Amino acid sequence: MTQILSNFIQVLRAASIRVSTAESIDAASALNVVGWDHRDQLRETLSQVLAKTPEDKRAFHECFDRFFTFETVRGVEANVPSDDTDAGGQPQMPEAGAGGSGVGGGGLAELLEKGDSAALQQAMASAARAVQIQNIRLFTQRGMYVRRVLEQMGIEDFDRALLAAARQQPAAPEVARMRERKERLLEDVSALVDRQMLLYTANARTALREEVLQKTPLTRIEMSDFKTMQTLVRKLAKRLVSLHSRRRRVAKRGQLDIRRTLRRNTGYDGLLFNTVWKQTKVDRPKIIAVCDVSGSVAQVSRFLLLFLYSMSEVLPKVRSFAFSTQLGEVTDWFQTKPAEEALALTMKTWGMGSTDYGGSLTELERLTEADLDHRTTVIILGDARSNYGDPGAQALRRIHERVKRVIWLNPEPRSFWNIGDSAMQKLAASCDRVETCRTLLQLERIVNEIARGAS
Amino acid sequence: MTTANASAARDAILAIQKGFETSGYIASDGIATAVFLAQALSKPILVEGPPGVGKTELATATSALLGKPLIRLQCYEGLDEAKALYEWKYGKQLLYTQVLKEKLGDLMQGAEGLKQSLARLHEFDDTFFSEEFLEPRPLLKALWAKDGAVLLIDEIDKSDEEFEAFLLELLQDYQISIPELGTIKAVSTPTVFLTSNNTREIGDALKRRCLHLYIPFPDNRLEQRIIASRVPALASELRDQLVGFVQSLRGMDIKKAPAVSETIDWARTLLLMHATELEPELVRATLNVLLKFQSDIELVDLEVPAMIHRASVG
Repeated sequence: MTQILSNFIQVLRAASIRVSTAESIDAASALNVVGWDHRDQLRETLSQVLAKTPEDKRAFHECFDRFFTFETVRGVEANVPSDDTDAGGQPQMPEAGAGGSGVGGGGLAELLEKGDSAALQQAMASAARAVQIQNIRLFTQRGMYVRRVLEQMGIEDFDRALLAAARQQPAAPEVARMRERKERLLEDVSALVDRQMLLYTANARTALREEVLQKTPLTRIEMSDFKTMQTLVRKLAKRLVSLHSRRRRVAKRGQLDIRRTLRRNTGYDGLLFNTVWKQTKVDRPKIIAVCDVSGSVAQVSRFLLLFLYSMSEVLPKVRSFAFSTQLGEVTDWFQTKPAEEALALTMKTWGMGSTDYGGSLTELERLTEADLDHRTTVIILGDARSNYGDPGAQALRRIHERVKRVIWLNPEPRSFWNIGDSAMQKLAASCDRVETCRTLLQLERIVNEIARGAS
Repeated sequence: MTTANASAARDAILAIQKGFETSGYIASDGIATAVFLAQALSKPILVEGPPGVGKTELATATSALLGKPLIRLQCYEGLDEAKALYEWKYGKQLLYTQVLKEKLGDLMQGAEGLKQSLARLHEFDDTFFSEEFLEPRPLLKALWAKDGAVLLIDEIDKSDEEFEAFLLELLQDYQISIPELGTIKAVSTPTVFLTSNNTREIGDALKRRCLHLYIPFPDNRLEQRIIASRVPALASELRDQLVGFVQSLRGMDIKKAPAVSETIDWARTLLLMHATELEPELVRATLNVLLKFQSDIELVDLEVPAMIHRASVG
């Protein structure tokens, strides 16, 4: 039974429900109390112990239904008279499969002949457990596992019997029936292995793909992967949010917290010796994100904006601007419309023409005049290729003087900077940091640092 | 072995359900199972769900069922251990030092030298930080309750993260550390409920220590039973209609779906107005019992006749 439970937990983990060891122990002790026999009761119990968010619950119920379709039902089916060795009808996992599964070789033939599907299911299930089907990872392993399950069930003896029978009387109807039964068994076992594979690898593939996507340069991501990327961005953003929303610091100024001061000073006879101040609110940074939306940089811009707006809980004050030939504010669109729509609108309105860094940065300075102060972080995302025009180094320097910091993210690899019309060097003089930002991982790291500087 | 266990557990769960029903709380299987598990494993229950589905009510009902007092702690931002766990009685402590000062002369009479005086002082009990000067707050009260208690920590999501972390020791081992006194263990394990409206994500560490019960809006049948138990005077046809109406409201795209408590309020309102069936005029007039946003009311207003029709047919 513990084996079944741990297999089930493995399935849950494959469906990206986080189950800790402590929780699996809880589940085991809960099952000790509740037992396995009532399906609904079992489901409720496990869902309360193992799945702890509404999303997890949904995934849990799906997994439960798939996992326990054939795995258990045992409590019920045990009542069907079975010719197994122990009449108790609880064929637990056969220990260390020494003599094959609970059903020996002769047993298989008998079982097939009787056509007792419940018993057969049981035999299949125990055989599958005995060959540790939960370790299946790739579809190429299917054949191997089908073979192993069949062997575990004693197919070899069956084959031998079949062969012997066929040799004696090739045309006997008995032989044909045996063949047919074997065929059917084969089908059943393949179906079983397929189901198991689906169960245990459901999320392994997506996990792998997500990992790859995180490292792929953003400019090279296919249209078809955008949806995955968006969920991925949200996931990363959520993690950062929970990481940074926990930070608070005790202020050294503000209002005196009388109650706590008194309390801390009881030891000094009530003399106010150590003072305690009321906490002030966490200082959230103001962010001005400026994105080049021309050509190839647009792809990276899209993800940066998506990232920033997914973190509105820790970064509530984000103003965003887009530019190529001209610059304009796009904050409202991202706050009111779904990301895709906002992006499309941005590209359509500001994404035309060749980039003009000089004009755009001057315009930025004019538009953000009131917001440039010591709490503001300016993030500029662009390749700094201004088509040999004015790169706007003057304007950027003036901005830099007034704000907390300027971070420049360049989607081009470092070796491409300052080649051709790239004015990175001139602009870098007025930046606190210049970073390559090509993949989602790099993007995450940078946003993380911005949020950390925030609190 | 498992069979015997399972049916015993089944009986216990059904008994809990029955017990709740007599006190007027209609519990689904999930809720009864959670209460049973909490008793059997002595684990706290974290209850989540939309507002107004009876999360707090569950704790009240459990306290009635177990016949144990309910101790409630309402969480809010800035709640700290001084308000949740214990507080020293400063006034008394200060008085005590005053008294001590006056008596000091008598005490020290005959003592020669500093050493002897100090030794004398040490013979004295250290009462300054003792339970006499301790003012218990809800959590400590729950630990000290002799015959056990039902502890309700309401809206844990409103408290700060620090407070959440501070609860961990209590929830894990039913004990609490007071720096000046040491560890205080529960006299008898209390049944603990935590409720959350999900305004923020609860930390994993806390979740791991709790059973997690999600109470969704009840389905049609369950809600009918709830109304029948809470507003028994209501005619069954009207109850049918009313629940159907509310259920279809929840399916609509509105800001705040009506909760069970609002359904009950509405049922009482209709009863007061001697209604025998849902009529568009009546519904429109009383819609503000169910819906709490003007925009929602306006949205639903137009659809009322069609919805009533559907509710009566379905």
